[in-house]
Amino acid sequence: MSPPVAPAASASTPAPDATVLVVDDDAPIRRAVRHVLTELGVDVLEAGTGEEALALAAARGPALVVLDLGLPGLDGEAVTRDLRGWCTAPILVLSARHGEQEKVRLLDAGADDYLTKPFAPAELAARVRAHLRRARLAGAAPDGPEPLVDGPLTVDFRRRVATRDGAPLHLTPIEWGILRALAAEPGRTLTQKQLFDAVWRRPFGNAGQYLRVHVTNLRRKVERVASAPRLIVTEPGVGYRFEPPREASDAGA
Amino acid sequence: MTGGGLAAWRPTPAARWAGWVAALVALAGVLAGRREQLDQVHVVLPFLLLVLLGGATGGRALGLSLAGAAVLLLNYVFQPPYDTLVVHKPLDTLVLVSFLATAGVATQLLEVARARAVAARRHALEVERLAAEREGLLVEAEHAHALREADRMKDAVLAAVSHDLRTPLTTITALAHAAAARGDPAGPVIAEQAGRLSRMVADLLDLSRARAGSLPVAVEVNLAEDVVGAALRQTAGVLGERPVVVDVPEDGPPLAGRFDFVATLRVLGNLLENAHKYSPAGAPVAVGAAREGAALAFTVADRGAGVPAGERARIFAPFYRAAQAGGGPGDVGGAGLGLAVARALAEAQGGTLDVAERAGGGSVFTLRLAAADAEGDVPDDADDADDADPAPSAALSAGLAPGGSGHTAA
Repeated sequence: MSPPVAPAASASTPAPDATVLVVDDDAPIRRAVRHVLTELGVDVLEAGTGEEALALAAARGPALVVLDLGLPGLDGEAVTRDLRGWCTAPILVLSARHGEQEKVRLLDAGADDYLTKPFAPAELAARVRAHLRRARLAGAAPDGPEPLVDGPLTVDFRRRVATRDGAPLHLTPIEWGILRALAAEPGRTLTQKQLFDAVWRRPFGNAGQYLRVHVTNLRRKVERVASAPRLIVTEPGVGYRFEPPREASDAGA
Repeated sequence: MTGGGLAAWRPTPAARWAGWVAALVALAGVLAGRREQLDQVHVVLPFLLLVLLGGATGGRALGLSLAGAAVLLLNYVFQPPYDTLVVHKPLDTLVLVSFLATAGVATQLLEVARARAVAARRHALEVERLAAEREGLLVEAEHAHALREADRMKDAVLAAVSHDLRTPLTTITALAHAAAARGDPAGPVIAEQAGRLSRMVADLLDLSRARAGSLPVAVEVNLAEDVVGAALRQTAGVLGERPVVVDVPEDGPPLAGRFDFVATLRVLGNLLENAHKYSPAGAPVAVGAAREGAALAFTVADRGAGVPAGERARIFAPFYRAAQAGGGPGDVGGAGLGLAVARALAEAQGGTLDVAERAGGGSVFTLRLAAADAEGDVPDDADDADDADPAPSAALSAGLAPGGSGHTAA
């Protein structure tokens, strides 16, 4: 319906010299992931163990780490904690386990996102693209997230102005806080705790329930259909993730 | 009827008594002819025998009656002066009294013995019955134990298999997509079948966990809008071009319930896939949420062939598949686990899942969970004043979404 308004930097082309480290003890999985990543035009490094992954990360400084949770020896969670001590590259976790508690623990430990096996390769490609783009832009926009344009909706975080069809849209301070925290790191899955801490800047007892009501109210204002959200995506049992509008790919679909 | 009674003739108690008394009188008659030669003892002993036989077969009353009659006969017929009820010799009185006493005691003993025999027989039967019952219970308990053990084993195996299947499925899926991207016609088919297998694996795992009671369920206050949105997003790939009509109120306080988000998402996802599978091409699937008293009711409705009343309980059994599914326009395959899993997940969080006929054709599945009041349950924290932000309850009542018109998602 609406004319495609593509962001200035095309979301589909990652940095040409980006290197992605793929860590999995299963060689066929590494090969499959390499396949998906090569099509994105990135260089791929492979590691079969956690120790190997840490050594490679230190030596080559990858732009992104795709990390399997169930590694023999030093496991995914330990690798995540170690990496977070000295490496800023986003960490995308692959997990064959379905426990939400485990995912939350990993994200709280410093991972940026997770995918549950078996995942669709298109989903992996989209996530990797989003993380590489965010990693490249990190530091470039210290004043806050770049303006958000989604059809009739525009959000200017610096001026703190939101409009729909040109008319001003009222967001409460907490709704601004949530949207800003999510949009500042597109593609990153924020746990309910992380999001609550970022917005309220203090711990709170029943954060999840409190947050859910605010997110639902925010969606009613910024989403085209609140019960079919496309910008603020729920990660079931874990938290929320901001997906930048993909006007170009929508028009092509 | 009236003439046929003879064949089934059985002696009534009165007839039996008359028979015994007649026998006694006959015996007395036979002996009376030679009473001059007989000693009283020769008469008393046959009489006593007859009294005891009567008492043994006819009971105490008959025995005592015969004893009385025997005493009268003894005195009247056999004790001089004959044919009178007068006793001359004191010894004759002793004979009469001891006869009566002997007959009475013997009859009483017979009665006691008979009662004991009856009780013993009853006890024997009871013991026999209890023994049989115990045996049955033992067999049953052993059987139940074996079943439980088998169930536990099966669940453990299922969980391990489900987990281990995911890794190769990931590789197959990725390589199939790569093949499809290269233009290999086998690629999309392999990818689709791998997807089907993945869903079956997930269903098997959930079902096995639910059966083992090891399904992690975290019931908290969640919002209907949130879970419906997540379900639509999760099933978007399977539903493809299928139109979906969403009916969740988007103004006023959000509909809230006490439920496990992930489990409810799985239920709605399975119901949406099911509705898609059994609907003719192009027919929209409807998903909605509404408050029903103390319950929060989610509905997923289709325009399929519907479920006959007799089948409604059976469709929730594992591995049940309706005949119409095969080759239907939206057939996504499956092992017939979707609805079994959905019901198990609904019940694991204290809810219910039912199916009913839909007005105008098709079926409507209703998932009922405990409703909650989002406004009342959110703490009204005064500390938020420094954020100059209204408390959530206030935000709720003020949260009027501009242009909340679109209720249809493709």
